[in-house]
Amino acid sequence: MRALRRPLPRGLRSRLLTAFVLVTVLGAVAAAWSGAGSAGTALVSSHQQRTTEAVAGSITAVAPQLTYPPDREALDRLRQAVGGDTLVTYGDLTSTGVFDTGLITDELRGAVRDGHRSAAQRITVDGRTWLLVGTPVMATAPDGTRSPSGIEVYTLRDLAAVEREVDGLVLTAVATAAAALPLSVLLALLAARGVLRPVRDLRDTAGALAAGDLGARAEPHGADELAELAVAVNEMAASLQESMAAMERMQADARRFVADVSHELRTPLSTLAAVVEVLESSAEGTDDDTRESARMAISETHRLIRLVEDLMEVSRLDAGTARLRAEPVDAAAAVRDCLRLRGWSERVEVAAPEGIVLRLDRRRLDVILANLVGNALRHGAPPVRVEVHRLPGGVRVTVTDHGPGLGGDVLPRVFDRFYKADESRTRTPGSGLGLAIARENARLHGGDLTASDTGSGARFDLVLPDRGEGEEDEEEGGR
Amino acid sequence: MRRLGAAAVVLALVTSCGSGPAEVVDGGPAPTGVASGVPLYFLDGQGELVLQVRDTGRLGSISEAMSLLLSGPGDSDLGTGIDATGAQRMGVTVREDVIELMTPLAADEVTPAGIDQIVCTALAVHVQSGGSPDTGVRVRFTLDTPESDEVRRCPVTG
Repeated sequence: MRALRRPLPRGLRSRLLTAFVLVTVLGAVAAAWSGAGSAGTALVSSHQQRTTEAVAGSITAVAPQLTYPPDREALDRLRQAVGGDTLVTYGDLTSTGVFDTGLITDELRGAVRDGHRSAAQRITVDGRTWLLVGTPVMATAPDGTRSPSGIEVYTLRDLAAVEREVDGLVLTAVATAAAALPLSVLLALLAARGVLRPVRDLRDTAGALAAGDLGARAEPHGADELAELAVAVNEMAASLQESMAAMERMQADARRFVADVSHELRTPLSTLAAVVEVLESSAEGTDDDTRESARMAISETHRLIRLVEDLMEVSRLDAGTARLRAEPVDAAAAVRDCLRLRGWSERVEVAAPEGIVLRLDRRRLDVILANLVGNALRHGAPPVRVEVHRLPGGVRVTVTDHGPGLGGDVLPRVFDRFYKADESRTRTPGSGLGLAIARENARLHGGDLTASDTGSGARFDLVLPDRGEGEEDEEEGGR
Repeated sequence: MRRLGAAAVVLALVTSCGSGPAEVVDGGPAPTGVASGVPLYFLDGQGELVLQVRDTGRLGSISEAMSLLLSGPGDSDLGTGIDATGAQRMGVTVREDVIELMTPLAADEVTPAGIDQIVCTALAVHVQSGGSPDTGVRVRFTLDTPESDEVRRCPVTG
C-alpha cells in the first residue's frame, strides 16, 4: 500500500463532529428545557398553593374577631392580618395601603365573585412577577352551609424568590448540558475514526490503483457498508488487473510479432539489395526502361530495408531492450557531423555555439537529428534552421522550417507511427516511423521531444539532459 | 436542510414555552369566620335544643361562646341544663378531630341536655370559624367520671 500521508480531509470528520455536537446540544437543551420547565412549573404552583393557603389561614385566624357587618376599622384589621400589599373591600367600603386596584384583573375579580374559593393569578408589573391572590371571605352557618359574606381580600405576593430558584434550575440544566459536550465531542471523534479509517484505506487503495499499482487491495473491516464497499473495490481492482494483464499480453504478442517479422524480412531483403545492385550494374548499356526499372528496384529495396530497420528499432524501444551508450559528445559537432554525412550541410542553417559537451548516446542523438532535419527538409520548406542552446544540466536543439507548419489536427498526432499529414502523398521516402523513433530516443535519454507550430512553419524542440558518469548501460528503456 | 430542521425544532420549543399572562388558578377553599353574632344553644319549654344567636357583632372564640353559654339565657324565655355555678371560664383545646372542653362543672351539675348545649355551641362556633363539621367534642368535668372520656356530637347539626 502506498504511504499517502496527506493532511486529513476536513470534510467527514468535521461533519460528524458538527452533527454529534448539534444532536447533543439539541438533546440537552430540550431535556434541560422541559426538565427545568416542569420543575419550575411544579415549584411555582406549589409556591402559589402555599401562598394562597397562608393568606386563607391568616384570614381565618382573624375573621372570628371581626365585627360583622364590618366597619372601616374591621377591614383595616383584616388587611393588617393578611399583611403585605393588600386590598380589602366590603361593598363600597375599602381598606387599602399602597395597593393599586387597577392591578386586579377582571378575570380574577370574576373568579372571586362567582366562586366560593380563593383564586390566584400571576401578573407581571415592571418586569417583576407577582402572585395576585384574591379570595372572598365566607360566612358559615352553624350547620356548615357557606355563603359569601361580601368581604373580598386581594393581596400581592412577590414571586422573585421562586423565579430565582427556577433560574437556578435552568442554569444547572445548562451547565449539565455543557458538561456533556466534551463527552459528545469525544464520542464523535471515536465514531469519525471508525468511519474514517476504512474510508482512508479505500482512498489510499484507489490512489495506489490510479498510480499504477494494480495489486493494491483494501482490507475490509467488519461487515458494514464500508466493508462491502472495500470488497467491491477489490473486485473492481482484480478485474481491472486481469483485463490489463490480458491487454499487455496482447500488446507484447503484437510487438513480438512485429519484431519477428522485421527480423525475418531483413536477411532476404539484404540479399535482395545485393541482387538488384548486381542487376543494375548488368543493366548498364541496355535501354532506358530497363535501367529505370533497376534503379527503382534498388531505391524501393533500400526503402524497405530502412523500414524494416526502423521497425526493429521501434520494437527494441518498445520492448525496453534498447540501451544507452553515453559518452562525451560535443553538441555542435554532432549536429554538423550529422548534416555533413547526409549531404545536408548546404541546405540547413546551423546556429550552434561550440563547447557544449555532454554525456549522450552519440548514435541515438544522430538518429534524432537526422529524423528531425530530414522531416523538415521533406515536408517543410527552406530555410531549415538548427539551433543549439545550452540549458542548465542539458541542451536544447530546435529545428524549424518555413513550410506549411503543423495544423491543429496534425499537431497532436505528429509523433504517431505511420501518421501521414497529407493522405494523398502516400509515397514519401520516409518510413513513417522517424518522428516516433526520435521521440522514443529522446525519452530514453530522460529528455523529451515536442512539436509546435510557429505560424510560419513547424518547430521541433529536443531537450536532452546530461547523462552523468556511471549512468550509462544501466538505463532501461520504456516509459 | 438538517440545520433548518434543527432551527425549526428550537423555534417550536421556544414558542411553546413562552411566558404569557398566566390564567387564574384555583387557590383552594375560601376563608370563613365572619358572623354577626355568637351561636348559643338553649332549651325551650319541651327541653329541645334551640339556637339563639347572641348579637355581639362578631363570632368570637369557642371559649367566649362557652362563657356566654355558662352565663345563661338571660331574660329570654329559654332554659338551660347547666347549673349556674358562677364559674364562667372554660378551657378549650382544639385538636385535629376533637375539641376538648375543660368545664368548671361536675358531671352532676349538668343535665344530658345541658351537655348537648355545650357540645352544639362549641361545634357551631368551630364550624362557623371554618372548622370541620365532623369534629367531635369531649366534655371533661371537674370530678372523675366516665362521661369525661366520651366523644360527643351535636344531635341537632349531626
